[in-house]
Amino acid sequence: MTTDELLDQQKPQRFPLGLDWWAVLAALALAVVVKLGFIHKVPW
Amino acid sequence: MAEGTLALPRVEAARPVNRFVRLIPGVLLLAAIGYLGKFIEQSISRYAKTNNLHIPNIEYVLWAILIGLVVSNTIGIPEVFRPGVATYEFWLKAGIVLLGSRFLLGDVLKLGGLSLTLVVLELAVAFSLMTLLGRWFKLKPKLTSLLAVGSAVCGVSAIIATKGAIDADDEDSSYAIAAILAIGAISLFTFPLIGHWLHLSDRAFGLWAGLAVDNTAEATAAGALYSDAASKIAVLAKTTRNAMIGFVVLGYALYWASRGQAQNVTNKAAFLWQKFPKFVLGFLLISVLATAVVFNKEQLGSLANLSRWAFLLTFAGVGLRTNIRELKAQGLRPFAVGAIGEGAIALVTLGIVAIAAAAFHL
Repeated sequence: MTTDELLDQQKPQRFPLGLDWWAVLAALALAVVVKLGFIHKVPW
Repeated sequence: MAEGTLALPRVEAARPVNRFVRLIPGVLLLAAIGYLGKFIEQSISRYAKTNNLHIPNIEYVLWAILIGLVVSNTIGIPEVFRPGVATYEFWLKAGIVLLGSRFLLGDVLKLGGLSLTLVVLELAVAFSLMTLLGRWFKLKPKLTSLLAVGSAVCGVSAIIATKGAIDADDEDSSYAIAAILAIGAISLFTFPLIGHWLHLSDRAFGLWAGLAVDNTAEATAAGALYSDAASKIAVLAKTTRNAMIGFVVLGYALYWASRGQAQNVTNKAAFLWQKFPKFVLGFLLISVLATAVVFNKEQLGSLANLSRWAFLLTFAGVGLRTNIRELKAQGLRPFAVGAIGEGAIALVTLGIVAIAAAAFHL
């Protein structure tokens, strides 16, 4: 194993999912919260 | 050197909690600017009402973008806010997924089918025009490819995806991104003015903005500046355009690989899936749930409002990330090619939308 490869292994890990999936998960989590009635009405 | 004796400096991975904490100042800045825009709109409207004045309503979208522009081009964005400000794209995508609650699946299929047909026409026009213009202005071929993808599909994300696939250099990519961002900012302000001048219906304008404005954030903002209904359609049309990104990038990757100037794509299906914008699936899923009456009327209203709040943060981010000095520093030629090409694309797509609007009573 080269030094570069070893250094690469020690790089901080990125989030395992991409931005798109995080956005989908966050939106679905909000939809579940609204569906279960934890948020009754979101004002605008 | 033996592996056992190699002493390497340890690079500490930032803990997820620390990464999350670093986002908070910037997210608060996005929320503050977005809310200030909403507050200004409401205050002016209330003042006009109580004093019987006829002041043209300037939407919170425009206020949020303008305040963001002023902040980023005067005092700049301090380092502490930058990670959080960069989350504007996350809010945009979460907002689009939640917007799925405002579409019944039938509407998505009907309008999405129409959008898809128009997107295919738009892609053909955009690629031909940008390739011709790139040749006339003697731009580097890969820079022309990046500009063509940026103007045809979805702005910055498409350029970044294509950059890796065709082994374009950093300089070409930053030129293309700067040109597309500058043109996106101009389109954002000019499209609604032209739409009102031509008395376009909400649906026709939404389709036009979704087809011709680069970058999803700018297309959403242009639609929202026109009307709430136009914003919905603009997002749907733009999302359809975004869904084409994989095919377009694959096409360019194969073209440059055939010329020996990019790596060959071995697994095309995996390549397409990797480039596919996954938030489109979330949008469709929420639309399916709304169609299946999983949510009652009040819950649908709440989801739509959550989507609006997410977009509010996005619009503040659009203003904050636009740095006029940086855009100017990138030079005039790529901008000129982009501007002429985009102007022509806007005109042609306007014609296509006008025909579709007459044919389908939009």
